[in-house]
Amino acid sequence: MKLQRKLQQLLKSLIQPLMAVLIGLLTGAVAISLVGASVLETYKVMWDGAFGNFYFVTATLARATPIILIGLGLAIAFRAGVFNMGAEGQMVLGAVSAALAALYVPGSGIIKILAALLAGFLAGGLWSLLAGWMETRFKVQLLISTLLLNYVAVLFAGYLVSRPFQDKSGSAALAQTHMIDQVAWLPKLFQGMSVHMGFVIAIVLAVTLYIILRFTSAGYEVRMLGYNPFFAEYGGINKIKVLLFSMFFSGGIAGLAGTVEVLGSQYRYVEGSLTVPGYAWTGLMAALLANSNPLGTAVAAILLAALQTGAMGMERNTEVPLEIASVIQGVLILFVTAKITMNWWKVKKKAGDIHGAA
Amino acid sequence: MTYVLEMKDMSKKYGDFLANDRISIHLKKGEVLAIVGENGAGKTTLMRMLYGLEQPTSGEIVLNGKTVKFSGPLDAIESGIGMVHQHFMLFSDFSVTENIVIGHEPKRNGFFNRKAAAEKVKELSEHYKINVNPLKKAGDCSIGEQQRIEILKVLFQGADIIILDEPTAVLTPLEVEELLKTIQFLAEQGKSIILITHKLPEVMKVADQITVLRNGKVTGNVLKQQTDVEQLATMMVGRELQKLTDRIQLDGDPLLVVENLTIGGKDAKPILDQLSLTVHRGEIVGIAGVSGNGQSELIQAIAGLRKIDSGNVRLGDSSFSGKTVAYRRNAGLAHIPEDRYLWGAAKEASVEETGLMGYYRKRNFNQSSFIKLNAFRKLVRGWIDRFEIKTPSLDEKSGNLSGGNLQKLIVARELGFETDFLIAAEPTRGVDIGAMEYIHEAIIEKRNNGDGILLVSSELSEILTLSDRIAVMYEGKIVDILDRNEATEERLSVLMAGGNENEASTKTTTTA
Repeated sequence: MKLQRKLQQLLKSLIQPLMAVLIGLLTGAVAISLVGASVLETYKVMWDGAFGNFYFVTATLARATPIILIGLGLAIAFRAGVFNMGAEGQMVLGAVSAALAALYVPGSGIIKILAALLAGFLAGGLWSLLAGWMETRFKVQLLISTLLLNYVAVLFAGYLVSRPFQDKSGSAALAQTHMIDQVAWLPKLFQGMSVHMGFVIAIVLAVTLYIILRFTSAGYEVRMLGYNPFFAEYGGINKIKVLLFSMFFSGGIAGLAGTVEVLGSQYRYVEGSLTVPGYAWTGLMAALLANSNPLGTAVAAILLAALQTGAMGMERNTEVPLEIASVIQGVLILFVTAKITMNWWKVKKKAGDIHGAA
Repeated sequence: MTYVLEMKDMSKKYGDFLANDRISIHLKKGEVLAIVGENGAGKTTLMRMLYGLEQPTSGEIVLNGKTVKFSGPLDAIESGIGMVHQHFMLFSDFSVTENIVIGHEPKRNGFFNRKAAAEKVKELSEHYKINVNPLKKAGDCSIGEQQRIEILKVLFQGADIIILDEPTAVLTPLEVEELLKTIQFLAEQGKSIILITHKLPEVMKVADQITVLRNGKVTGNVLKQQTDVEQLATMMVGRELQKLTDRIQLDGDPLLVVENLTIGGKDAKPILDQLSLTVHRGEIVGIAGVSGNGQSELIQAIAGLRKIDSGNVRLGDSSFSGKTVAYRRNAGLAHIPEDRYLWGAAKEASVEETGLMGYYRKRNFNQSSFIKLNAFRKLVRGWIDRFEIKTPSLDEKSGNLSGGNLQKLIVARELGFETDFLIAAEPTRGVDIGAMEYIHEAIIEKRNNGDGILLVSSELSEILTLSDRIAVMYEGKIVDILDRNEATEERLSVLMAGGNENEASTKTTTTA
């Protein structure tokens, strides 16, 4: 009876994202048939591109790594009831700080790695904390401040790697740092495959966050603040403290996303290497699809990464253009936002009812 | 005499649940019919069927001798049935006139004729002695005025049968008086009124005929002359009401001491003005007042939810100045909040999570910051048994509980802290009589245990039943404190309206 109820609840929470994915795929099918290709074959090729053999699976997981971390970071903020839109800036600052730490902190490989992880986490976290502090101190809307701070962060990181810390040794002077010493690289999980230790970090973090949110008093405080800040305050939860902590960890984990990309796959910070693939926005989508459940966010992030790697495979092997993946993603976004808008609308309508005159 | 309205054997099934089971009512011209019953007794369902909002599973509605079927409220309105909802449906940015004539605007050359509309509204308001200002914005009107707008709207639409759904729930005592007069006047003018309520004293004042519902069935149909409040209550609850436990005489030390508490307002007038108040151990101090005179702010200031400009709050030996909510709660404060949805719970959170608030910090339920859910669940199950809280499971969302059950959960949670001091703000708002008995009993028990309680309620009867002393608040000050045995509803009403206390006391007692 109880198990049945739990299963029902699980199913209920899964229906919406699954429907979104299904409708996304159906729309993709329409688009594929419009360009005149076979739907089933194209999807088969896409599937192979994402999960077809061990190499592709690891490539998908490698791509999923920063997306999972971004998603987890955002999930914390969403759970606390704040809309952190600044994952991109937090990630980029984390990445550049990590690269610099790995380059310039003296010591053995492990010390460099730890220093880089710490620097990346702190840079992202403090940047995010700035927005949180402005909200609590001056009532600057977080949604807006985090979004705007992205530009500041990305441009600042760009400046760092095109002026003071630029690697001028190569023939083409790209905007990038020097390459990190090999001892400070995150090890690959399998010889010759692109998935690296960062993926393990991401999964461990997902499980840890799930446990913290579900079973600890800190998690309880975060969730209650997100559900109803008045209730939280009434019950003795320090609203400001919890909000600032949530923002710090939210940004810190986004910073880690940048960090593991630098330490695990690029080995330097290259301008644009994290913003062009749109990791931050894909991570946002993962968190929204999973309704900010950490484990669900990890799964959604892997699915979205698979969609992207699958589309690349599709482009290599068929005439169907890469943009089909964007169509599917676009529909997903549409559905996810439709859900948010619906909820928002419902809440607003209820508030109107309570106040009598609507 | 023939009936203007008969509802015969009305039944309504939702799935397996029988919300209305062969309910019959009848109503004469110029008569006031009160339909009373606890929450969930089926009053609202019955009225929704009459107003065309629900289709009956079986049964017949006979209007002026003819069987009718309504497919929507518009049909009902056309047939002369009007409904004043519990939650007003007004456009706050429109004027009173516009709100009243909406849908039936007087026109000139096809355009809305504002002048004619205002005239008509004025006429109507004078004819039925229902006072409104036609040009005011609806959003600027008080709750009482808003209700009058709703009544006029219904009259403007030509209703002969007027349904009033819990009309007094939101009103101040003086507004209630006025509304009851209006109801009687309308009935004298030949309108038939259906009054949905669970407040029996009001029923005894205005109703001609009373139909009692319980669990979807009619348990009594009586004329006013043949009944009294006790009999009606017994029919409503299905058993005799228990008498409250006797209060033990206690002379406790001061527990909560509020001194010169001041909170400034937006304009020159402060919200709380040098307010001082003491609650002793073993004492219930009731705060009476028309809402908006600073009661909410006083509670929030004591609980630490609102900044104060000057003054002191002390609980026992702990000074609350500048202290957090958590500190105050640890020092012995529990708090049943006035608005259960705003402060008291999170709708999205489960029953268990709503109950957990505050407890998750306690050592019994917290092991190196992991919450001991199993131990806590035992506690919540205890509350559910003791207060008969109806919930399918502990995982149910709090927002899905009925208002009364959620209130019981909150009351159980706050009593469960076993603190020395309790703020009980509107502890029984929206709960049925059975639950009210439980909650009142629990509060008296806590008092007899030697704990102090500050009770704030908009129900004077509740204040009079429970309090040892009654403080009347008016414009941010306590204008008078009466002893339990010298307080009467009349005397409190006058003080609450800012009336002169001497005037009041000479009228009621000579030895005060």
